[in-house]
Amino acid sequence: MQETQTKPNGPVAAVFVAAGIGSLVLGLFVVLNEVSPDINNFLKFDANWGIGKGVGPLSGKALLGTGAFLLSWLGLHLGLRGKEVNMTTWLAFALLLVLGGFALTFPPIFEYIVHLFPAAE
Amino acid sequence: MEFTERELWAVIHGLVLGTLFLLAFAGGLAGLYSLNARFMTPEGIAERTPRLLIGTWGMAIIAWLTVITGTFIVYPWYRAAPPEGTDLADPSVLGDFPRYLLLASDSTAEWHRFGMEWKEHVAWMAPFLATAVAFAVLYYGVNLYRRGDVRRAVLVFFTLAFAAAGVAGLFGAFITKAAPVA
Repeated sequence: MQETQTKPNGPVAAVFVAAGIGSLVLGLFVVLNEVSPDINNFLKFDANWGIGKGVGPLSGKALLGTGAFLLSWLGLHLGLRGKEVNMTTWLAFALLLVLGGFALTFPPIFEYIVHLFPAAE
Repeated sequence: MEFTERELWAVIHGLVLGTLFLLAFAGGLAGLYSLNARFMTPEGIAERTPRLLIGTWGMAIIAWLTVITGTFIVYPWYRAAPPEGTDLADPSVLGDFPRYLLLASDSTAEWHRFGMEWKEHVAWMAPFLATAVAFAVLYYGVNLYRRGDVRRAVLVFFTLAFAAAGVAGLFGAFITKAAPVA
């Protein structure tokens, strides 16, 4: 059993997992951007929404990753506030998400995945 | 002795914010590692906590400022396309177009294809991870030392935030050396 004489750890587990979700969403859009021309165009938030100028699809990838982080943080915070959770389990889950995000942004890995979709080449 | 606007922003993005990030990380890591009841008195922990808060929140804010300035100010200069008709295989006419300058030569193309492609994406994870750390420190405050489970998680995420920023910073320095934004 974790130390419970302090505040419950749910909100901290929430923000760690949210950071993992943000990282993974960013990584997923890195791959999707290369796989689909439609998604590539959608991600150009600078041209589509006037957010930045000349940034290209990175504007969408960055803002969607940030949005995923903030929204999932809010949702998980509301769901876990006041709760004591097994931090080891939640940390492991958060780490899996973060490492998934790292992997999907690593060029040799995302290029390998892109090559699995011949239409994208 | 003067900077162009582009050089100034490149210095702010890479050198000023990057150096502050490193300083905040070093201070924060030392503070977090030593935040242990075996090493410190309760008075010592209470005295150290405000500095830890400043260090972790400083790191998170600097990480956000770094990726925002990098993505929305410096990066468009990096990826700007030369006018139509420019010989993309001639490095001598691509000095104002760093991305195309790197791609013009086999000896430098990987700086873009591998270095920049990784840097521009992985850098955005640093503020997510650093914000999570800063929130945990803020949430527990002086009681963080009593939560070994949270402290371990904070140390792991703090190190990952540094790793993400480190990859981005390292490639940023190399790429700037090969094809400066100027």
